Amino acid sequence: MVTARDFVGRDVITVGDIRREELLYLLDAAEEFEGVTGTLLAGRVVATLFFEPSTRTRLSFESAVGRLGGCCIGFAEAGVSSHTKGETLADTVRVIEGYSDLVLIRHPREGTARLAAEFAEIPVVNCGDGAHQHPTQTFVDLYTIRRECGRLDDLHVVFAGDLRYGRAVHSLVSVLTQFNAHLTLVSPNYLRLPGEQRRALEAQGIEYREMTELEAAMPEADVLYMTRVQQERFTDPLEYVKFRDAYTLDLQALEHARKDVAILHPLPRVTEIAPEVDAHPHAAYFRQAHYGVAVRKALLALLLGAAEKVLG
Amino acid sequence: MKTTQQVSKLKQGTVLDHLHAGTALRALRVLNLAADQRITIGMNLTSKRLGRKDIIKIDSYELNEDQAAKVALISPDATRSIIRDYKVAEKHDLHLPVAFRGLIRCPNPNCIVHDERIAGSFVVEGRDPVTVSCDYCERSITADQFEFE
Repeated sequence: MVTARDFVGRDVITVGDIRREELLYLLDAAEEFEGVTGTLLAGRVVATLFFEPSTRTRLSFESAVGRLGGCCIGFAEAGVSSHTKGETLADTVRVIEGYSDLVLIRHPREGTARLAAEFAEIPVVNCGDGAHQHPTQTFVDLYTIRRECGRLDDLHVVFAGDLRYGRAVHSLVSVLTQFNAHLTLVSPNYLRLPGEQRRALEAQGIEYREMTELEAAMPEADVLYMTRVQQERFTDPLEYVKFRDAYTLDLQALEHARKDVAILHPLPRVTEIAPEVDAHPHAAYFRQAHYGVAVRKALLALLLGAAEKVLG
Repeated sequence: MKTTQQVSKLKQGTVLDHLHAGTALRALRVLNLAADQRITIGMNLTSKRLGRKDIIKIDSYELNEDQAAKVALISPDATRSIIRDYKVAEKHDLHLPVAFRGLIRCPNPNCIVHDERIAGSFVVEGRDPVTVSCDYCERSITADQFEFE
């Protein structure tokens, strides 16, 4: 049986670090933490090392820490850290761990959080490393799906957009395999899910289908997970221009979907969801962004050993 | 029936035998031996175990553990024999490790190891073909993509 103590002091680098039972425990804990404020994290310091821009992840973590009475130190772009002076990440982390109780890190290079965790004694949480993984976004996505659909098992999930570079997609696809999901992957050929992930799905016997037309994929979807084409990951700007408007979900396109399809997006969006969709009762992406605070409050409290007062 | 030895005997040195057919030249490149090193290569020789095999004989040179580990990544069924005075002084199978540090570089240009002063770290995922996974970026890397240090 999973208990709050199982989380204390752990790193969260990839979704593979957390078992299904632990995920469910975390989601239950997030429900308990909705609306919780107070001093659970009083005297605790969380370091936010964001070498890459972030709005939702960083601010929802900062909000979570603030609402639980802790404080954050750190930076929100690489230019203000000693990285620009040639300091290695390992040295940065070794210094910061003397100032804080937990490290949140985002970096454009893949594997950065794993490397940071090797050098830090305190917990390290991956807040996005290149096109690799973004596990806390996945926790928020799962929480949103469960809130919107009432369950996590046996859902038909359609992913559309940039499946090649979208780290939120990589993490979520990987976790949904534990919930017997039916996956449809909609993307231009250039932006297909990476070969490693497709092979991993096949090795686990997970059935998935790949399509290029969004409308054709929609009728069976319980969840429609739209993603932005990740401009910052393209080396050739012309390639980006070619694909940036690959898919636009508007009310006309939504006529192909079931009335109760849950529409998710890790945000920010650009053109892939028309503003007219925002009023759709199952457009869940702003709720999804707001759920980030409850999920991150629960995660921080669990990792820092401060959750038992709320969870009992 | 008259039988003939396919490759001549060594007095001193190393014999890499049971290399997968077609891998000898790559193994030699990886070993990075001196330009004047005397070497005999046999390719596509008959082998009971493998059907066809390659063999490398390196005169008056004993391969070290690092070099042997690199050859194992290219040809995991190979054997290494150290020859002294025409006799096999030592013979070892070149085992694929479960995990290892160094030896190769992660070919993912966006992997953090290229920015930091650390050796790559890998887990072996499969042996036919040899496939490893980078501990940091988790990319799968097949033998044809290996960039040796």
